[in-house]
Amino acid sequence: MSPIMLVLPILCPLIGGLIVLRLHAQTVRRFAVVGIMVAQLASLIPTLLHDIPTLTLLTLTESVRIVLQADAVSRLFAVLISLIWLFVAIFAFEYMTHEKNRERFFSFYLITLSALIGVCFSGNLITLYMFYEMMTLCSFPLVLHTGTKKAVAAAWRYLTYSVAGAALGLLGWFVLQGYCSTDLFTAGGMLDTAAAMENRELLLGVFLVMIIGFGCKAGMFPLHAWLPIAHPEAPAPASAVLSGLITKMGILAIIRVTYFIFGWEFLIGTWAQTAVLVLALTTIFMGSTLALRENILKKRLAYSTVSQVSYVIFGLMLMDATAMEGALFQAIFHALAKNTLFMAAGALIFKTHKTLVSDLRGVGRVYGITMWCFTLSSLSLVGIPPTGGFAAKWMLAQGAMESGVGTLGYVGIGILMLSALLTAGYLLSIVTNGFFPGADFQAEGIFEKKTTPLMWIALCSLTVAALVLGMFPDIVRPAVQAVVNSLF
Amino acid sequence: MNGMLAAVVFVPMACGPVSYVIGRKSKKGRDAFVLAVTILEMLLTLLIMKAGEISLSIPGFAGLGIGFASGHFRTVMAFLTASGWLASTLLSREYFAHVKRRNRYYVFWLLTLGAVMGVFLSVDLYTTFIFFEIMSFTSYVAVVQTEEEDALKASVTYLAVAVIGGLVTLSGIFVLYHTLGTLNISELAHAAEAMEDKSILWVCGLLILVGFGAKAGAFPLHIWLPTAHPAAPAPASAVLSGVITKTGIYGVAVLSTTLFLHDAQWGQMLAVFGAITMVLGAALAVCSVDLKRTLACSSVSQIGFVVVGISMQCLLGHHNALAVEGTILHIMNHSLIKMVLFPCAGVIHLSTHSYDLNDIRGFGRGKPLLAVIMGIPMLSLAGLPFLNGYVSKTLLHESIVEYIHIAGEQAWLYSVLEWMFLFAGGLTFAYMLKLFCCIFVEKNEHPHWKTGKYIARTSAVVLLLYVAIMPVLGALPHETMEGVSAFARSFFHGEAPAHAVHYFAWINLKGAVISLTIGALVYLLVVRRLLIRKDRYIDPIPKWCSIEYGIYRPLIDLLSKTFQLIAGCLDRGVLLLIDLLAKAIQLIAVCLDQVIFRILFHEIPAAAARGCGRLKTQIVQMIVSLTGREYTPRPSLEEIPYDYHFAKYEDDPVPEEGIWQSFGFGLMLAGLGLVFALAFIILHK
Repeated sequence: MSPIMLVLPILCPLIGGLIVLRLHAQTVRRFAVVGIMVAQLASLIPTLLHDIPTLTLLTLTESVRIVLQADAVSRLFAVLISLIWLFVAIFAFEYMTHEKNRERFFSFYLITLSALIGVCFSGNLITLYMFYEMMTLCSFPLVLHTGTKKAVAAAWRYLTYSVAGAALGLLGWFVLQGYCSTDLFTAGGMLDTAAAMENRELLLGVFLVMIIGFGCKAGMFPLHAWLPIAHPEAPAPASAVLSGLITKMGILAIIRVTYFIFGWEFLIGTWAQTAVLVLALTTIFMGSTLALRENILKKRLAYSTVSQVSYVIFGLMLMDATAMEGALFQAIFHALAKNTLFMAAGALIFKTHKTLVSDLRGVGRVYGITMWCFTLSSLSLVGIPPTGGFAAKWMLAQGAMESGVGTLGYVGIGILMLSALLTAGYLLSIVTNGFFPGADFQAEGIFEKKTTPLMWIALCSLTVAALVLGMFPDIVRPAVQAVVNSLF
Repeated sequence: MNGMLAAVVFVPMACGPVSYVIGRKSKKGRDAFVLAVTILEMLLTLLIMKAGEISLSIPGFAGLGIGFASGHFRTVMAFLTASGWLASTLLSREYFAHVKRRNRYYVFWLLTLGAVMGVFLSVDLYTTFIFFEIMSFTSYVAVVQTEEEDALKASVTYLAVAVIGGLVTLSGIFVLYHTLGTLNISELAHAAEAMEDKSILWVCGLLILVGFGAKAGAFPLHIWLPTAHPAAPAPASAVLSGVITKTGIYGVAVLSTTLFLHDAQWGQMLAVFGAITMVLGAALAVCSVDLKRTLACSSVSQIGFVVVGISMQCLLGHHNALAVEGTILHIMNHSLIKMVLFPCAGVIHLSTHSYDLNDIRGFGRGKPLLAVIMGIPMLSLAGLPFLNGYVSKTLLHESIVEYIHIAGEQAWLYSVLEWMFLFAGGLTFAYMLKLFCCIFVEKNEHPHWKTGKYIARTSAVVLLLYVAIMPVLGALPHETMEGVSAFARSFFHGEAPAHAVHYFAWINLKGAVISLTIGALVYLLVVRRLLIRKDRYIDPIPKWCSIEYGIYRPLIDLLSKTFQLIAGCLDRGVLLLIDLLAKAIQLIAVCLDQVIFRILFHEIPAAAARGCGRLKTQIVQMIVSLTGREYTPRPSLEEIPYDYHFAKYEDDPVPEEGIWQSFGFGLMLAGLGLVFALAFIILHK
């Protein structure tokens, strides 16, 4: 199979995005967007089925190359992103009827996708960095779409944090270059062992800096602050993909750094591992707690993302096969659930124009479908069986005990459980308030019914996926296991 | 045949949403459909019963895969569940005739049925937990159904207990699976026995116990029962109390017969909790002035009896025949009795729209049918001989007496337990007497209910059927109840009794007589004297004096405040720090951009200029001090005539000074270079 196949899924939405900019008729644009994304999905298929050799796009110098490759990690994330991106686009068609400049939105929406797929297929850190920055820059217009003062401020906050984070990652690479035997991502690490062991402490410091840097996109403490600021201002489809998928690119970068640059054998049992674990657990605890007292719906969901994505980091940093599997499952299920939640929140805002949790009393009476999707996704996020979150949490907990981190593993389980409890507190309270507002509640006059078929399609598809995959995780297990097997 | 097990769990769950769809079209169709599903469930259960021991596993479901098995205790519980649901569905028709949002109710009604079946038929703790959680959430809807203020309040408590209990249990299961490598109930005992260090098992056991104990309604996690039962519609309360609390008991039983099989310490611990639960529940029931709340507290108390039974079978080890039998039968009896009493409360509510004893007193006068339907289960629960409650209570009592004989030094402790048991039994009689007298004996000055038909025929038939079973079971225990316990006991690793129990011998009747005497005394001395003021029943317990409002809620409040403080500090702190950092960088940039350039190109030249000026004046001063007089260049006094053309050749090109200057400069540099080169050559050598 020709290596040029790797470029297609990246180019397809990029060119499509530019075309969409000139499509002013709504129906044409909608069909074009769906068409482009279906084409992109189709162009992914060859990369999944065949082993494709590495493709060097550009050689600036010996050590600075733009390289694409497709391994198990790329495939898993690329498929996850492309599929969910499509459903969120379908949701966006209806949601964006309330906004201006729709051409611009959908154009950048598609270009951002191409950047994400680029991050997935990056073969070395320079390429990853390039697409990573492209992703930040292209999603920037999505955040400030409404153009209000607050939105612009939020977008700037998003931009500065992201760029600063990525810069920390790049900084790490400058130091690392001298210690690497190759510049391509290699399962098990690409450090020159002899040279690396001499400067172990320095390299561990570099590792920490890189994780904190890339952790910014994943909303990890201490660079999490952009999430709760950017999410409420962005339009719902943008917050959905920001929270559900773009944060996963932070995760992908962390996987690359941990498992493909340093290699887990170099890191296991070191202070750097402990430090990141502590940071992740801090984030989990902090995010859930702050979500509990937040009254702005989307901000509450943003804090929830802060907490939930760090579950993945926690699982990754345990450096254990089961934990890794759990982490990847958590990444998948969180992407499904959080996209649904943000879309449901968007649907509620679209229909009621209410953004505060306290105003949502009784919404379940009127918007049954939306709230049902919200409920099931909430249960998945809390980790109630048989939804997806439960399977992920089970593996994470087993991994925490199996791995050699000792007490920290048990502390981790404790914090996971505490966070699950808090998650139940901040999500299920919305559900119970929505469905059971009290006998005296009258929905007439407060909420009016609206038919939103496209929103329902998107919401229901992702909810059903979360449920079915939760009940039968074996459907995606091969993909996850391919990643784990390639690393352990 | 094995597929039957999956059907019994998943068919009602699948039918739930279907009933909703039907319900949107026709209410009658939906009612018929739900009834059909429960009848089908009953048939399936009977088929499973007939099939004996069968098992089924669904690998890969929700990760680890789940499994179901039937036989013994599981089948008995499945039968109780199916019959309870069938009866409640029949009763629901009357009760729900004028209620809103029945569609929603029935969806969750069927979902809960499947989930409860899943719990009872589960073959491993993983399956148990999955269906236990589903059940917790689906039964939530039953609690909140009326959406009245009490119901909303109760539902919050119910959900909080369910979620917290579930998560604690889940942590226990995590550790257990990691430690033993299996969750299969039949393998747990063996795996646990092989463990040298039991401490980790105790950690798991206690964690798992929290969730199951909470669902069962054991002290100190019983808080949801007294509020949730009264809030739920009567048919739902019936299954909540009669069946759903038993899922908790099932979990406790699994722990006590596998991880802690014949473990005396575990038994002691359970005995303590059981004893507190049974006395506390009964005491609360005596004080309550709400019909359903009384029944709910009574459930707490009866669960205490069952827990004591389970503890006894742990303590007695291989001689646990009586304890096991008593436990199984008391579970069954309590379920049967509450399946009648809660719907009866519903019947009263339908006519009076109240559960308050002061409002409904005298309702039962002149209603012999209701008196029979309510009276027999009440007396049965109080332990009147020749009714089924007496049999199981006698067995439990006998098991305690049996242990007193072999307890050695701790015998006095178990004598205390025996007296607590008898006292709790007495209280049972007292509160039942209170209810019965209130409803059927006392007169009401201002009855506000319509006279006439108060119970639908179907309901009456169903309830009478249940009531009719009780004396039969009670009068012929050897023929009926012992058969059930013999069928079910292998789950508890129960032994066959060494000799037949003579239920109606004086030695066994004595306990009942003591209990009933205590009960009568309590009723006469406490209830009539202290709890009735000015002809009204009063609840002497102040509102703040409850574990929930006194301890749990403030504690959770405090914890959440602390957490929020910590998290807020982290969040704000980091944000502040990053902003500060940004400010600092800005400051540095401003410095670089403005200050340094200013210094370099403005300040330094200025200073240099100033320095030059000063130097100049100093040189002048030096000259003055050296020569002694001021140097002033004297101007020429001659006048220079002004002539423009003097010494100027207009046509000559004026040589550009620059070239000469640069040429000279170049020469000078070249010379300097030569000098350096020369010096280098010389010095280098």
